[in-house]
Amino acid sequence: MALKYDEHNKYHRLARTGVITVISLIVLLWVWWLVSTIIQKTMDFNTSPLATPGEAFVALFDFFNNGDPIEHRSMWSWIWSSLSKFIKGFLLALVLALPVGLLMGYFKILREFFTPWVEVLRPIAPIAWAPIFVIIFQATNGSIMVVFVGIFFPLLTNIVFGVQKIDTKLLDAAKTLGASRMQIFVKVVVPSTVPYLMNGVKVGLGVGWMCIVAAELYNTTLSGIGYFVKFMIDNASYDYAFAGIIIIAVLGLLTTGVAEYASKCISRRMGLDA
Amino acid sequence: MSEEIVILGKKYSSKDRVRADRTDKLYEDIPEGETLLKIEDLNVTYRTDNSTTVAVDNISFDIKKGELLSIVGPSGCGKSTILRCIGGLLQPTSGKITIGDKECTTAGSDRGMVFQDFALFPWRSVRRNIEFGLEIAGVPKEERRERSTRYLKAMGLEEYADHRIHELSGGMKQRVGIARAMIMHPAVILMDEPFGALDAQTRNILQHSLVEVLKNSHRTIIFVTHSVDEAIYLSDRILVLSKRPATIHNILEVPGERPRERAAPEYAELRRKILDYLESQNTIF
Repeated sequence: MALKYDEHNKYHRLARTGVITVISLIVLLWVWWLVSTIIQKTMDFNTSPLATPGEAFVALFDFFNNGDPIEHRSMWSWIWSSLSKFIKGFLLALVLALPVGLLMGYFKILREFFTPWVEVLRPIAPIAWAPIFVIIFQATNGSIMVVFVGIFFPLLTNIVFGVQKIDTKLLDAAKTLGASRMQIFVKVVVPSTVPYLMNGVKVGLGVGWMCIVAAELYNTTLSGIGYFVKFMIDNASYDYAFAGIIIIAVLGLLTTGVAEYASKCISRRMGLDA
Repeated sequence: MSEEIVILGKKYSSKDRVRADRTDKLYEDIPEGETLLKIEDLNVTYRTDNSTTVAVDNISFDIKKGELLSIVGPSGCGKSTILRCIGGLLQPTSGKITIGDKECTTAGSDRGMVFQDFALFPWRSVRRNIEFGLEIAGVPKEERRERSTRYLKAMGLEEYADHRIHELSGGMKQRVGIARAMIMHPAVILMDEPFGALDAQTRNILQHSLVEVLKNSHRTIIFVTHSVDEAIYLSDRILVLSKRPATIHNILEVPGERPRERAAPEYAELRRKILDYLESQNTIF
């Protein structure tokens, strides 16, 4: 055999990962097909709630070409509606968690005072706020607030942790170079917190994406990919519902992938990957 | 942002063109070889919940302008503690540290520091690490550039100016650390086992580089080390400390101009004397 796997060859490693991933996905599709077929054959439904992969992909193709089967709104408008809420919630969380986290990390008294608040509020599942937020902020802004809560806490705790983990030798070095407390904060504390911030962003984006879909399933925004799934299920168009679920999976993968890539780039740029 | 710089508790506006590198001018009236830094009755006592430990026990000594004073002593005797007090990074329990006639209570750019584990800013390039202090002092960009170029050259770092810190070897990192402290022209440079994290060969090369740099620009240096050979190779005087709580055992003059021959027979007796004392103070056996 001319082909032999070489652990020390970058392309061999890449090819190996690629081949295994493809096989893994094919097996996943097959399991899906098997389960959905068994349910369709053995249970007594007019239309099975578990669409087969074939039905789902046909529906996805139709959704992509002709929009949803009832109102004919385009796939992109459904996706964009979720994405825009997601981005707004994320930005809001970032804008608030950044200063609050940095100050909580830097000033012990603030940390001591606010830690009980964080510990009480953090374990509450973000989606538990949805019913209240929808009443207070209306459907769209309510969903944004759910995303905000989901992303805010991972960001905050990571930033606070990052400020505390700062190398005290760097603070000493800055002091002996004449830096004031304010200058140390801006020129040493903030940059050295960046990798922790990026870690918070990675975790937060994953949680946030789950939050937006869940919030849309719950409430009556009448827009967004989460609502699309609910809308199709209410209409017994389960194949379209599964097309929506595939879109959710792909977008979730893309979001975390982008965050991962951005985090790597920034860490390298900051010289903090080593 | 940094319109003011503080030198020994006095505030100067950068408009006065009193720049960090002119700090030494404040001590210009002190002639070379006269007392620059005075440590009087320095005591450091650590307190924990149920015990107190005396780390440094009423130490007094002087540093003369332009000299290199080494501090040696058994491991854990409080050498670094003394240095951190002088640097203003640690508040002594009692005692007084004065430069000229000004008392030092907090850290400032008049006392530069070089750390054993380099303590460089990993998100800054080599050049921007060296320029950090000047940036803090509000020195304009072109001037920073010009001055950092001089120090990059002096430390043999020119071609690494735009490199990140993690791309450098240990020896290169400490060259950056030394340049970063020197560029501020502090009254005294405090070196806390600066070559302790380097391998023996790199250490020799850096010791030699330090001697070369000092030939061209006179500096006052306090150098903490656990290597007697290093102390003899570099110092004008060696301060020998006892085991904890640290007291001064002896202050020894090292004769001869730098650069010195390594392991020269004329230093054998001095070397033996210090090593014997350190061995007698060793608490492990």
